[in-house]
Amino acid sequence: MTRRSDQGGGPVRRSLLWVVTLGLVAALAAGLVVATSPRQPATAQDTPAVTVQRAHAGSGTPALKGRLVLLTIGSDSGAPKFGRGGTAESGRADALQLVIIDTAKRRGSIVSFPRDSYVPIPGHGTNKINAAMAFGGPPLLVATFEQLTGLTIDYYALTSFDGLTDIVNKVGKVQVNVDMNLRDHFAGAFLDKGRRNLSGAQALAYARARKTLPGGDFDRSRHQGQLLLGGLGTYQRQVAEDPTKVLSWLGIIRDEVKTDLPFPELLRLALVATDIPVSGIINIPVPAVAGSAGGASVVRLLPGAYALFGRLRAGKLS
Amino acid sequence: MIVAARTNPKLRRAGLAGVLAGALLAGGCTSGGGSGSGGPSSEPTTGSAVPARPLQVQLVTVAKVPPGGPNARRAAKQAAPGLERFLDRYLTAAYVDAAGGEGGWDRLIGLFDRPVRVSARKQLDALSLGANATEVSAVRPSRASARAVVLYGEQRPAAATVRLAFDGTADTAKGSGRVHLRSVLQLLATGDGWRIAAFDSRTGTPK
Repeated sequence: MTRRSDQGGGPVRRSLLWVVTLGLVAALAAGLVVATSPRQPATAQDTPAVTVQRAHAGSGTPALKGRLVLLTIGSDSGAPKFGRGGTAESGRADALQLVIIDTAKRRGSIVSFPRDSYVPIPGHGTNKINAAMAFGGPPLLVATFEQLTGLTIDYYALTSFDGLTDIVNKVGKVQVNVDMNLRDHFAGAFLDKGRRNLSGAQALAYARARKTLPGGDFDRSRHQGQLLLGGLGTYQRQVAEDPTKVLSWLGIIRDEVKTDLPFPELLRLALVATDIPVSGIINIPVPAVAGSAGGASVVRLLPGAYALFGRLRAGKLS
Repeated sequence: MIVAARTNPKLRRAGLAGVLAGALLAGGCTSGGGSGSGGPSSEPTTGSAVPARPLQVQLVTVAKVPPGGPNARRAAKQAAPGLERFLDRYLTAAYVDAAGGEGGWDRLIGLFDRPVRVSARKQLDALSLGANATEVSAVRPSRASARAVVLYGEQRPAAATVRLAFDGTADTAKGSGRVHLRSVLQLLATGDGWRIAAFDSRTGTPK
């Protein structure tokens, strides 16, 4: 020590060495304590944190009262991309589905009507149901359905060929359970049976294919219902992954669909739709048979159709 | 801390020892973790000694506008203040003013769209301090942030999806603890602001 001290050359250098040594020891000790201690927040008072609230999770969508009946309409007009002029509202209604949702039970049904259904149209005698919209726009079509079924139609939603293809392309394809192999040159439908992700053009072709199908118009109506169910399933999957997709779909509907649904109701319905299992919705083609009237081929509703309307009026879904 | 030591002339005089001590301490703090919690929190857990930070929602907004509608950036900017006010009201009712449990929940429930109010009232624990409100004397916000996507109608906001995150400290007679909220709120624009039309929410201590 003495020697070192002597060699160290004086008290100033010695005290500096002490400062460094002490500093190192203190720092190492402090570092060790920090490194080995259980993590605790640095606080002025060393009180351990308490658990104020255990973990809770919950979700809620609108509880709408009762049943909602929506008429979905596919028009043959107002589609410039397909060379179809006019407006969608003034065309013939070639795709017709009554969508009935029991919002409380989260179940529903899609009742598909062949476009050639030969029915009374208020003020226009008896004619094919698709002509009602050409005669008086969506209001007359709604009145025709109300008279035919005895149900009150709450709202309608109308789109065109352009609208359907745009919707499907904008949402990024819809997944549909294609129920038969299709090779329909007339509609441009070339699809194999099974679960398929359909583009806009494929979805439209699936909704239109009729001439080569064994059930003709009946098969087509069922396919249109399947397309709606496929859209619902696709919507639910997308929203489950990204909740902002609710707005994406609403934005697309706003741009591509004409409806008398007020926006708040549309939003609530879109939120309810996240919660309705696709398997809880039945796709029912209305019972009917091919026939003729005045030389034109038509579809005549069978007694089973009126029995179905009666059950629907009574609150049942099929 | 190290930067301060280097720039403070008084500390510079203490020389190498202080710098080394600081460096070692810093090394101990950052490498001693391993619990996955991201290091010790600077958030106070005790106390009335720490003044409450005012609630301020940090909001990022984007807008979806219709063709021919307003400019998206301008629309987002226009929607932001109203949304921020609404989220502020929500967090104030759910946490800050809920402490003590004397005010009830009517003000919070009033922020929900009618068809979802019953569901919200049943799930207050997932949306707010809930049943714990009576044990809490004060809630001090530390972070409130939100990301919103707003859907525009012709010229006005029509709906929004908001991802909301709130962290704070709640004081109880037994001590203080953290409170957390993580929510996705689907909002409907009304004439006088917003209402929550649907929710998916979590509260409590995250794992």
